[in-house]
Amino acid sequence: MNDNDDIKDDPVDPALATRFAALRSELATHDAPRCVEKELLQAFARQFPIRQPWYRKLSLSQWGTAGALASLCGVALLLALAPHQAVTVGPPVLNVDDGTAFIALESLERIESEPYTRVVEAELPQTALAPLGMPLNPQTAGGTVRAEMLVAQDGHPLAVRLSAVN
Amino acid sequence: MTLTTEQTDTELLRQVHAGQAEAFTALYRRHQGPLYRYALLRCGSGDAAADIVQEAFMGLLTGRLGYDPLRGQLQHFLFGVARNLALKLDEARQRHPQLPAPLDDDDDAPDLDAAGDSAGPLARLLGNEAAEEVRRALSLLPPHYRDPVILYELHDLSYQEIATVCQVDIGTVRSRLARGRAALAKRLHALQASSHDAHLA
Repeated sequence: MNDNDDIKDDPVDPALATRFAALRSELATHDAPRCVEKELLQAFARQFPIRQPWYRKLSLSQWGTAGALASLCGVALLLALAPHQAVTVGPPVLNVDDGTAFIALESLERIESEPYTRVVEAELPQTALAPLGMPLNPQTAGGTVRAEMLVAQDGHPLAVRLSAVN
Repeated sequence: MTLTTEQTDTELLRQVHAGQAEAFTALYRRHQGPLYRYALLRCGSGDAAADIVQEAFMGLLTGRLGYDPLRGQLQHFLFGVARNLALKLDEARQRHPQLPAPLDDDDDAPDLDAAGDSAGPLARLLGNEAAEEVRRALSLLPPHYRDPVILYELHDLSYQEIATVCQVDIGTVRSRLARGRAALAKRLHALQASSHDAHLA
């Protein structure tokens, strides 16, 4: 701002002062063109680029690939953590003595919980053993087989093993 | 400028260098007007004035100019930058003159400055007739007279501030201001007389 000393030492011609006032008033409506601000802001954006977070930098295809890999990893993890169980093709077997294994007719837990069991000899029709996975010969299907039955105290059959085929 | 409602130039500059675009926009809008008007009167061309404003702010943005808040206000610093840019423009025009330099008998130094290209100072820039008359008369002053007159009469800078912008001492500012006013008054009086004679004829 013009100091008071400045004005006192060098007073301006009133006519000139009027003209300056007219010029000042006219100039007040003049600003730099809008394109200057636009170009400066573009330069600013080049000088200070906006840092995008990592998740905005990935393309759609990259997100798809990442999702597929994550799914595969999830499935593999689930399989790894799932309890392993023996795959049995047929009914479970159990060893009672040093002989051939018995084929369980009841669940292993049921059999193991039985306090008293005994082995009895029996003759069974071959057709009775078909559900246990024993292959049947049509020519001998009517025959019997000698088997040993593991039975509970009340005589309920728990398991069976073949002795001989008649 | 109050600190409670507006941020200071120093604070805005700090935010600009931290990458805040809003701070740069605020700083630009605060200072572009006076800077453009000074450059317009100094160069006599709207295009040249726009270039000067853009280059000044680019220097501020990149840090090339090295503004020190302890040495003065940012607006005055920008005036100094604009003045230097205008001087370079004057030198370029002198190397490729397009108009003969008019001689003024009463000035100690010849009027070496054509104040622009063939279209610059003569082309009408302002709508108001009286204002345009003063502007044209100003454009015919030598730059070392023109600067103090523009900065004092139209931007209300003090002698000390003008001395800092123009990089001269206060005594030189005072004498150049007085001579600039006198030359301006003489030109305007001559213009008024010639237009009056033309009217009578």
